[in-house]
Amino acid sequence: MLKASITNIIQKWDALITLSRIITLLLILPIVLGLAGTILPAFDFLPALSHYQFSIKPWQNLLASPELIGSIKLTLISGLLATLISFIIAFATISVFYESRWLISIRHTLAPILAIPHAAIAIGLVFILSPSGWIVRLLSPWLTEYERPPIWVSVQDPYALSLVLALVVKETPYLLFVILASLDQIKTCELIKVGTSMGYTRITVWRKVILPILYPLIRLPLLVILAFSLTVVDLSLVIGPNTPSTFAVTLFHWFNDTDLDQRFTATAGAVLLMFIIIISALVWELVYQVVIYFDKGRWSNGKRTSLLTPFFHGAAITYLLCMLLAVLSLIVLPIWAFTHRWRFPDILPSSWSFKKIEQLSPLLFDLACVSLIIAFISTLFALLISVIMLEQKRNKPTSIKWFDRFIYLPIILPQVGFLFGIQVFLIWSNTSGSLIAVISLHLLYVLPYVYLTLSGPYLAYNQAYYIQAICLTKSPIQSFFNVKLAMLKPALFSAFALGIAVSFAQYLPTLTAGEGRINTLTTEAVALAASGERKKVGNMAMLQALFPLVIFMLAQWLPRIWTEYRLRLKNLSH
Amino acid sequence: MLNVNHCNISLKKTPLISDLSFSIKKGKVLTLMGPSGSGKSSLLNYLSGTLDTGFQANGAIELDGIRLDRMCTQNRNVGILYQTPLLFPHMTNLENLLFAIDAKEQGLTRLERLNLAMSKLAELGLEAKAKELPTALSGGQQARIALLRTLLSSPNYLLLDEPFGKLDPELRQSVRRFTLDQIEIANIPTLLVTHDDEDKIAMGGDFIELVNLSQRG
Repeated sequence: MLKASITNIIQKWDALITLSRIITLLLILPIVLGLAGTILPAFDFLPALSHYQFSIKPWQNLLASPELIGSIKLTLISGLLATLISFIIAFATISVFYESRWLISIRHTLAPILAIPHAAIAIGLVFILSPSGWIVRLLSPWLTEYERPPIWVSVQDPYALSLVLALVVKETPYLLFVILASLDQIKTCELIKVGTSMGYTRITVWRKVILPILYPLIRLPLLVILAFSLTVVDLSLVIGPNTPSTFAVTLFHWFNDTDLDQRFTATAGAVLLMFIIIISALVWELVYQVVIYFDKGRWSNGKRTSLLTPFFHGAAITYLLCMLLAVLSLIVLPIWAFTHRWRFPDILPSSWSFKKIEQLSPLLFDLACVSLIIAFISTLFALLISVIMLEQKRNKPTSIKWFDRFIYLPIILPQVGFLFGIQVFLIWSNTSGSLIAVISLHLLYVLPYVYLTLSGPYLAYNQAYYIQAICLTKSPIQSFFNVKLAMLKPALFSAFALGIAVSFAQYLPTLTAGEGRINTLTTEAVALAASGERKKVGNMAMLQALFPLVIFMLAQWLPRIWTEYRLRLKNLSH
Repeated sequence: MLNVNHCNISLKKTPLISDLSFSIKKGKVLTLMGPSGSGKSSLLNYLSGTLDTGFQANGAIELDGIRLDRMCTQNRNVGILYQTPLLFPHMTNLENLLFAIDAKEQGLTRLERLNLAMSKLAELGLEAKAKELPTALSGGQQARIALLRTLLSSPNYLLLDEPFGKLDPELRQSVRRFTLDQIEIANIPTLLVTHDDEDKIAMGGDFIELVNLSQRG
């Protein structure tokens, strides 16, 4: 019965069209609700709390709040600085290491680092950089003469520099990944050959020739990074400044204030945050255009070398340092998880034990199960939806343009206001606090990444194989699964692993839809990060990083050995 | 006998083929030639029912008196071979052949089905490669297996889209011979699309030359 109905869907294109329209509607609906639920309360209109009169009171309250200016300043500094530094480091790293064997090693490390939730890395960074952290321990007491942790501030510094560092560590690999993919589209190797054969140094070719061609291709990912850096909450809670905190965190506190009126101020703030994103994006683009305008004359001045070369090398080395920090922050998590006794200046724990993890195991088991269930269900749905939409897109590229327009909105809009708008709807529909609500919100954030990862390979698939299979078997449904999807297995597995990683990283969506009743490894780890219970936090962050990493490795490894294993099995049986 | 009557195909209102009619007898090959853009591939897609959206087509396709043009691809019982052999890279050579055999329809047991596929590999002297992936085969071997795979699905008519185009010249002769023999054994009408005059001569039968409608006016 089920098989028959699926067959009909695949056979009848109009059924596929209907299905894709329903999906588009189901995607647009929460986005519109989320936006309405943010913008209307900003003007004092929220029937759920019996506010029926439009007014600008929330804005007056917002402007009167003492943290406003300080918070916004921190947000702008950390967001713009993190994006700029990530961009410089990523571009310099590629221009220095391109076509060298270093790049191959760098390429291999990208995917695992992308898979690890940023909160886990931030927690690891806190364990390393804090006054009682690993680095100070390594240098004490022989160099620093500290017998106890110093009292100066390193992480959660008032200038948000440690937040910038955490953002750079997490965003640079993503940007490298995007740049590497874009370089395949432009004839990079040929451009370098032409340039260097005229006597230009490689760095100069990158600066004068490749950057102007490359930039338009990576503009959108850069803006995604900018929007993320300006609005991130969980990372700022772990490693960002307090009093004042970044604007997104200030809004987060207001939303959770017991005084319900603060929510109106917060929604006004969320609307302001949207404007901050738009204005920052415009400023970013304007600065780039101005730089290009003045740099244009220099492209063709005939100079073969660049004074910036040492700067490029410095930035590339910074990347290696960032990766070293990322690796250390992952190593320090299990160390803390299995620590029994670790006194201050000691480099390693003086005694180890499994006591903490044993004691925590019922809780950890529950959290891991909930996290995995949410991640698996939302990712499987995201895959299913992506396949349906891409199949429809292959049939008729223009038929899903509304889906294409809306799908990336959730990852660009600030979570802190947008999710509140959706929460109002969840409470109204009495689904708030349910697993379904959490999974649906995760789906909203998992879907864009899964869809984006899958769309390249899926649309590039040679449809002739599928047509050949239909002719051979007379069964479109069998051909679709046994040939088309089977051949797309590696792409499906990668998209799946990415979806799991995205779901594992979600903090605010879980918190908003789960109302504190549904907890994952991420929500618990972030909530406890400030508690000082390092052994407990270490355990949670370790598992939070472990699952996406393992699934990621399995996804790369399984499709490759699947066929090999099958062949060997067949050969043994005969 | 395959009959095509008064076939018109156009792409976004630009005519590609106008009022084309022909018929092919069982076991015979009709060669279709013409410059690129003359609608050769569109005609093949029309005959197999895989014309992309954006194309309009009308006319009639009849096989032994049964109208095919309203049917979808899977009900037409058509065999297609393209320039690339399109052996499924995730299946072994044997599995590729087994994929095409419908045991229920042909009334075969599992063992008979396996033996049938193995006997086809044996015809090519490739039994030893049964459990290897097709990527390890030479171009000529892949082309032969692809043809046998298509014929194992017992199609009622066969469409060949430049199937020898990617082969080395010395290989081309023997694969061509092999193809012609297999078509005679299968005794089904076949349409061959090609650029190569030698194909036309080797296939011995009739041919049609298409002209480029869009460049004529």
